[in-house]
Amino acid sequence: MAIRIGVDSGGTFTDVCLFDEESGKLDIWKVSSTPDDPSRGIAAGVEEGLKEIGVEPSDVGFLGHGTTVATNALIELNGVRTGLLVTKGFRDLLEIGRQKRPSLYDLFAEKPEVLVPRDIRIDVPERILADGSVDLALDEESLRQSIRKLKEEDVKAIAVCYLYGFLNAQHEIQTMRIIEEEFPGVFLSVSHRVAPEFREFERLSTTVVNSYLGPVMKRYIERLSQRLDDLGIRVTPQLTQSNGGVIGFETAASLPVRTVLSGPSTGVIAAQAIGRMAGFSNIITFDVGGTSTDVALLQNGVCALTGEAIVHGHPIKAPMLDIHTVGAGGGSIAHVDTGGLLKVGPRSAGANPGPVCYGLGSEEPCVTDANIVLQTLNPVEILGGRMKVDKDLTHAAMERLAEKLNMSKMGTAEGIISVMIANVAKAVRVISVQRGHDPRDYALMAFGGAGPLHVARLAKELDIAKIIVPRTPGTLCALGLLLTDLRADFAVSRLVDIDAAGAPTAVESGFTEIEAQAADWFTREGIGADRQILTRTADMRYRGQNYELSVPVHSGPINSDTFKALAEGFEAAHQQRFGFVAEGETVQVVTVRVQATGVVAKAEFKAEADHGQDSSLAKTAERDVWFDGGFLRSPIYERAKLHAGNVVIGPAIIEQMDTTTVIPPGMKGSVDPYLNLILEAVQ
Amino acid sequence: MTAAETIVDPITVEVIGSALTSIVDEMGEALVRASYSTNIKERRDCSTALFDAKGNTLCQAEHIPMHLGSFLGIIPAIRARYGEEEIRPGDVFIGNDAYEGGATHLPDIVLAEPIFAGSEFVGWAINTAHHADFADRGDAHIYQEGIRIPPIKLYREGVLQTDIQAMFLLNCQVPHERISDLRAQMSANRLGVQRMQALCEKYGTDRVLAAGDALLDYAERKMRYGISQIPDGVYSFSDIFDSTQMPGLSMTFSVEITVKGDEMTLVFDAPPQVRSALNMIYTALLASVYFAVKSIVDPTILPNAGLTRPLTVIAPKGSILNCQHPAAVNGRIDAGQRVVDIVQGALAKALPGRVSAAGNGCVTGALFMGEKSDGQIWVYLETIGGGGGARPSSDGLSGIHVSLTNTSNLPVEALEIEYPLSLLAYELVDGSGGEGEFRGGMGIRRVYRAERDCRVGIFGARVTSQPWGLDGGGPGATASHTVAGRDVQGAAMVVLKAGEIAEVITPGGGGYGDPSHRRPDAALRDVAEGRAKQISI
Repeated sequence: MAIRIGVDSGGTFTDVCLFDEESGKLDIWKVSSTPDDPSRGIAAGVEEGLKEIGVEPSDVGFLGHGTTVATNALIELNGVRTGLLVTKGFRDLLEIGRQKRPSLYDLFAEKPEVLVPRDIRIDVPERILADGSVDLALDEESLRQSIRKLKEEDVKAIAVCYLYGFLNAQHEIQTMRIIEEEFPGVFLSVSHRVAPEFREFERLSTTVVNSYLGPVMKRYIERLSQRLDDLGIRVTPQLTQSNGGVIGFETAASLPVRTVLSGPSTGVIAAQAIGRMAGFSNIITFDVGGTSTDVALLQNGVCALTGEAIVHGHPIKAPMLDIHTVGAGGGSIAHVDTGGLLKVGPRSAGANPGPVCYGLGSEEPCVTDANIVLQTLNPVEILGGRMKVDKDLTHAAMERLAEKLNMSKMGTAEGIISVMIANVAKAVRVISVQRGHDPRDYALMAFGGAGPLHVARLAKELDIAKIIVPRTPGTLCALGLLLTDLRADFAVSRLVDIDAAGAPTAVESGFTEIEAQAADWFTREGIGADRQILTRTADMRYRGQNYELSVPVHSGPINSDTFKALAEGFEAAHQQRFGFVAEGETVQVVTVRVQATGVVAKAEFKAEADHGQDSSLAKTAERDVWFDGGFLRSPIYERAKLHAGNVVIGPAIIEQMDTTTVIPPGMKGSVDPYLNLILEAVQ
Repeated sequence: MTAAETIVDPITVEVIGSALTSIVDEMGEALVRASYSTNIKERRDCSTALFDAKGNTLCQAEHIPMHLGSFLGIIPAIRARYGEEEIRPGDVFIGNDAYEGGATHLPDIVLAEPIFAGSEFVGWAINTAHHADFADRGDAHIYQEGIRIPPIKLYREGVLQTDIQAMFLLNCQVPHERISDLRAQMSANRLGVQRMQALCEKYGTDRVLAAGDALLDYAERKMRYGISQIPDGVYSFSDIFDSTQMPGLSMTFSVEITVKGDEMTLVFDAPPQVRSALNMIYTALLASVYFAVKSIVDPTILPNAGLTRPLTVIAPKGSILNCQHPAAVNGRIDAGQRVVDIVQGALAKALPGRVSAAGNGCVTGALFMGEKSDGQIWVYLETIGGGGGARPSSDGLSGIHVSLTNTSNLPVEALEIEYPLSLLAYELVDGSGGEGEFRGGMGIRRVYRAERDCRVGIFGARVTSQPWGLDGGGPGATASHTVAGRDVQGAAMVVLKAGEIAEVITPGGGGYGDPSHRRPDAALRDVAEGRAKQISI
């Protein structure tokens, strides 16, 4: 059992990372994705990759997989016909949402598609009150009729969300039982299981999305398991969740809503592991793709979880890494608006026709084209020689844009990069300064196809001193799968003042409940006691506030010392985030959470011996590259030929198949023992 | 090319513009997250902004368009009382008065803190938040509506003026929420000040200020470009304004819009100001007009002071749309909604296919107050959305706020924990959207049950008049409000005893296009889903 495999199935390519645990050798195999049935591309990639390195499928000891199946089904509205059961009087809550219109000024903006049509949203006579008491008992006969109607309507999934289901699940449990009698086999999501948290609309939306995606995910997982089994792979495959941990296929099939940010979260996990290797624990990640850029912040090696995010217009309550996305990437198109300012994105050139430089018919320059003009990207061929560049077309397009701006061509190209960087900097400020972190205390890690190309500019904008460019920035997500633990998150709302008499009991019972769920999960995933880690946190606020801050909770019994520590932890967090502590105000616990980690053996990279500073053997060419107002003759290096200890002094360009790294004048790049490039100012 | 543009190129303007947007967004988030009252923390009835030293809005966080009225008024009101040498680092000005305090009604409390980069006065961090207080007052004139605060210093050079704060709090029904919300407002402005100082340090104060000027010019250019695309001409429109606050009265508001080249003049006509809360001061009218014009001409224009330059707004002094002291103004937003309707209605004639039918056209409010078991007063205000107007190529949105407001609802599970009320229904009203090739959005039905005796006031408009359709589309349904089974009209709050029920039905939106052109499959869905009452083929 020597080979560990990570597969990242994206829209265009499926990346397969194969890691030999004994030799420490890392191979990467890329195949075209098969969007109609992604499992085909994955199986093909794994099969070809194994053949290439001459390993039998039975020797695979781990297979982890990040997927966009759930996300894509949500974006493309390819989920199943879903029926909804809610508390009497609230059948339109899903459509009303928070009652806000999607755009303040644009009268033509649309709300996200309501995933359940109005005629199969049925309200059920039942009502539980805020204290958990029953105001109106569940009308079972009426419920049965409603379920029969949904059955006649040929729904493939049902979502159930009653008011206060998180507090008193009695009616939801009763409903589950009756659905099993009346409509056995239908895919079922119930709010107290999917997201047992306060705020009914967000809980409802999460429950509905889970039902809507459930059968799609289940079908996909069944197909993939079958294909891998046919291939002769014996291990149980694992799948990444939005919280960065992996879970077994079975859990993923019942809670697909937890995988909607599967893709970007794997990149963050990889960044975390690489940062640890390279000796960095405070990192801001900068993952630049074709149409968008993801940024995330790791403090002490950990990316904070957020309990809620809006994914393609749908609020989702699920543990997710706090990743912020901005619509600016390599393909983002530059244009001049009616007020005469240069804008970049959110429109993107996509893969076809792609940038102007591809020569496939696009006429508006994008970020990639600006890099061609500046010659930070190879002006002859890119993508490791697979794409020839049409330089004349690119320059002509830039010239046209420059005329509209009344600026020079080079100034315009440089401006496109500046505007793109400003957009990204805005996103970085959201995850750093807005959360009370100073970006200057962090290192930037660049990945994705276009991250290393722009990272030095972003570092300058944010006054960040150090940059890490991993060894394979273009396939980091697949690599991340080889570096991640099994992980599941559990939460339950327990609204209680910390100085109330019943507080210890309430909090204790909350932890007992979710830790029992965690224990079940450990058993199901086959994680032995020596590999189990439980981490407790509590979401807290001043009574009267409605947004919570996360505070760590010690293990063991809950007592008065616990609350003293909680109060102190909360005040420190409040001070950091808002700059003040409200003396004398009552502090509340709102939700208690447990993060369950099943520690697994992870890929360990071997350090390379120091080859000395001389990097001249990796130098392949020279070209003029535009830096800050003028061309500078710059050496070009081949990344694969750079070894541990080598130093490259800027201005310089480092090329590799999946990306290009720019080292501006005044900076140098050093290769660390794990072949990461560390960029910093020349002393 | 203006002076500003000689110092900064268009790229720098865009880069600094992004940074300014980050700052006002961050101020807004901090304000919402640290506040206590449901109206701010969940319903987000607040806005944040940065101003330059001359008092122009540089950048406004997009929360509530009506709050632009406060932003227009506050700096002139401060400057009318304080000379430049009296504006010191660490000062915080507080104000709420419509006539002297720079706000548009008393519950919107504005806090303004000057920003100094080194010793240079460079601008202002400002926010306004709607404090749900001053309930169950009169509305004959502004003296009945709450405490009036001219801009005064709540902090002098960083020192809290405890006597001023004590006097303010004594005039509030829920002082504990007020002090906590003020704290959140303070901390939002502090952030704005610090971030702006850092920006000046990074780019140099001159460049930041020049970029600020250039952003104003930029918004102006976009507005001028948008107006120049409208055919020259005179376009007029009028509509009925009715309100539950003045039962039985229906007034006509009208506007005549003249478009000439890249400028637009809007001349309003409306009845004299009334002895009721429905009057609006001139800055509130301006905020309404700026919203309406921007939404049609170019929704992407930065909401700063530059966009106002090509617009001239005229309304008779002493009329309901340009009221004078001492007219009451608490409910000014309902009149403002009708201003938006008539401006958009007039522009629909100039730009067929670019304007939607009328939305629900009001800000239906439910105001509750009572005593808790410990004798403390509780006050709860919420506003309820309705139908959006149908668009030229799609149905109107259901259950949304339109035009000058865009507050969230309060989750039922938050409302019931906080107040002795239970929500029995929150749903769309069958068949309430206007019919048409594209249907108007549906109104909302919200039903409350009191768990303890309290008082309730329900305020809204479009009770007798209906939101209009366009191009052959039908009108949206009207509103109705009942308390314990009785129709409620008038401005006073009424008793709601424990166990009794209050029901609010908000208007639907107007339809667009001939109903006989609706796609047959859509018409069938309308019936199945209860959006239409019958097949209209």
